[in-house]
Amino acid sequence: MSSPAQHDISVDVDHNPYLAEGSGTVDAIVSITAGSDVAAAAAPRERVEAIIIDCSTSMLKPAGKFDAAKRGTTAAIDELTDGTYFIIVAGTGQAAAVYPTDGVPTRAGTASRAAAARAVDGLRPNGGTAMGTWLAYVRDVVGQFPGALTHAILLTDGKDEHETPEELQLEISLSIGEFTCDCRGVGTDWRVEELRSISSALLGSVDIVADPDDLAEDFAAMMRTSMGKTIPDLTLRLWTPAGAKVGFVKQVAPTVEDLTSRRVESGNQVGGYPLGSWGAEDRDYHIQVEVEPAAAGREKLAARVSVLSGDEVLGEGLVKTVWTADTALSAKISRRVAHYTGQAELAQAVQDGLSARKDGDVATATAKLQRAMELAVESGNDGTAKLLRGVIEVDERTGTARLKREVAAADEMALDARSTKTARVRKET
Amino acid sequence: MTGEQTACPQCAAPAGVADRFCESCGGPLLEEPKPEIHRVAIPRPGLGADGPCADCGNAAFADGYCTACGHRRAEPDRDEALLGAIALITDRGLHHARNEDAAAAGTVGGRDPHQPLAVAVAVCDGVSTSGDPQMASAAASKGGVDAMLAALAERSDARTAVLAGLAEAAKAAAAAGVGTDPARAPSCTYTAAIVVTHADEGVRVTVGNVGDSRAYWLPEPPAPARQLTLDDSLAQELMTAGASAESEFVLRGAHTITRWLGADAGATPWSEDSVQTITADGPGSLLLCSDGLWNYLPDADELARFCSGTDPSAAARALTEHALQAGGQDNITVVVIPIGGAS
Repeated sequence: MSSPAQHDISVDVDHNPYLAEGSGTVDAIVSITAGSDVAAAAAPRERVEAIIIDCSTSMLKPAGKFDAAKRGTTAAIDELTDGTYFIIVAGTGQAAAVYPTDGVPTRAGTASRAAAARAVDGLRPNGGTAMGTWLAYVRDVVGQFPGALTHAILLTDGKDEHETPEELQLEISLSIGEFTCDCRGVGTDWRVEELRSISSALLGSVDIVADPDDLAEDFAAMMRTSMGKTIPDLTLRLWTPAGAKVGFVKQVAPTVEDLTSRRVESGNQVGGYPLGSWGAEDRDYHIQVEVEPAAAGREKLAARVSVLSGDEVLGEGLVKTVWTADTALSAKISRRVAHYTGQAELAQAVQDGLSARKDGDVATATAKLQRAMELAVESGNDGTAKLLRGVIEVDERTGTARLKREVAAADEMALDARSTKTARVRKET
Repeated sequence: MTGEQTACPQCAAPAGVADRFCESCGGPLLEEPKPEIHRVAIPRPGLGADGPCADCGNAAFADGYCTACGHRRAEPDRDEALLGAIALITDRGLHHARNEDAAAAGTVGGRDPHQPLAVAVAVCDGVSTSGDPQMASAAASKGGVDAMLAALAERSDARTAVLAGLAEAAKAAAAAGVGTDPARAPSCTYTAAIVVTHADEGVRVTVGNVGDSRAYWLPEPPAPARQLTLDDSLAQELMTAGASAESEFVLRGAHTITRWLGADAGATPWSEDSVQTITADGPGSLLLCSDGLWNYLPDADELARFCSGTDPSAAARALTEHALQAGGQDNITVVVIPIGGAS
């Protein structure tokens, strides 16, 4: 026997194992669950938290925005558990340490939290925006703590202006695996795509905080979630049979995140996909593998999904496939595969629709967003359906859809930022 | 002291060879020896589990799947056994994913002049429209042979023993379905034979069957070879009713069996008419086989040509290879019992 079962991570596979003769496409939903006992049993690690607060000149307007940002930062500081190393960084055209001023993270405690809050309170916005330099700064800081759980919160109100997009992309790619990063945009002058490119690569979340007064609550919640992470750097390891191709590996709940291109080859027929740090939580993945078809009656292992921490396998699931001449068996589609295929299409339809709308392509925007509305309503994704109602009107009687002429920028950005949030379907028991 | 001496098996006191009871302890001296029983059943599970992957040749497996190509580790394609001179082969064939046939054989007696050598053999073919039919086949063939051997050891006549085998096989096949979906209860055919070698009266062969696995008597030429069993099949019923063997209805009904063993088959799904005895009028071979063989070689004379040699194993292999060469559409089971040859 390996480690005791209560310390394992469960890996559940949900799919239709039956394939028609000549067919080789295997779709499976893999649910990975780390229970609270798993999270609690993880060896204690050092934590390093960095909070990057945008101090560009634009933060001065409208009045009250910067004060709200400061309150948000202070609220996050208050959530730091004792002993956590932390640093507050001011982001402009470059990055500068706010607290501790020497740029060396210090442990959280009553005195250091109060001192940090005072330092934040004294900030004055003045400068540009170059988020790549902010990421580079945090990367250097967390690099001093190998093996630690490292996390950053990035707050901005504008576009990345004082460096090239290539410079930003380079800094993002250099930061992958070094720390996770949750991004928040305040107001409506920032770009959802830009922040999403950071949060997606650095395995964090992205959202709009339209009302600066909501920042404090949001920042506190983000920091609490981060404090709940106890297992750094899990890896999903995927074995596939000789001759097979991995179609895709996507996280599909709680949000859609395509991991396909993040594969790191780790031997014959085996690749690893980084899952970031985990607390007590569960996430669902949609894996599609193209295998060589076999004759009816044959059974093949289409994929072996293992969850690893370092070299230690914490959980494993098998995706089995049986070929059959019985079309009643092979034609079935797993309810959860269908659901999450719809959720991924929903996210894509929202993003495509909003992008077409920006380009003035009303016909495409209407078609995509109408389709998105159908998918959201059908699948019970009430959050996205509600946000869609802010940009598109569907006549319930005739079914005709029309883009709203007056759309609040914040509504549109919220829809875009939250488009990847999925409705969950639990497994059938 | 007169005559030869022996010792009492209980108290070791000396005793005369003709004495029936020990004069010392009173125990029996001429206890009847228990007849010797030997038996074998195929396919044997777990065989070939150490070999490389049948699909790609890779040697490593994890959780029963090849670590290279992912195929589930294959059951061995063939199992062969020899019991005395009786050769048994069962082969998966080329098109079925698993072998749902089974065969068993046993011998009893032979040393005691009052207990002539008797051979009991059974071949079963799982009905592939039922669930897990291989469980019914294995249980029925083993159960049938065991019951026949037990009856023969009790000196029952061959006909009684064949019927006892049928009854036990029916029970075993039905029991194999306990806990499974009644609509898909595992079921199988059953064809059995008992060969008794009488010292003075020659060799008698008694057969009985349910379904369409067959027994053939294949004497050395020029004696004519013939099929001993009558299939319980739609085709046979039509032919019995006068239809031509080549007619469309017969060909279409060739594989629809009208009787079988299993939980959905009733308690005695056989016709007592199917049990019949022949006297072997010379040396030859008794052949039992599933339709995986006779589909390609239905004719008794053609089958006889394969069995004219002296090596039953070689004959059984040649027959199996022929069925594979001809297409191997079904599982193939062949049992060759040499009769009245060298012995």
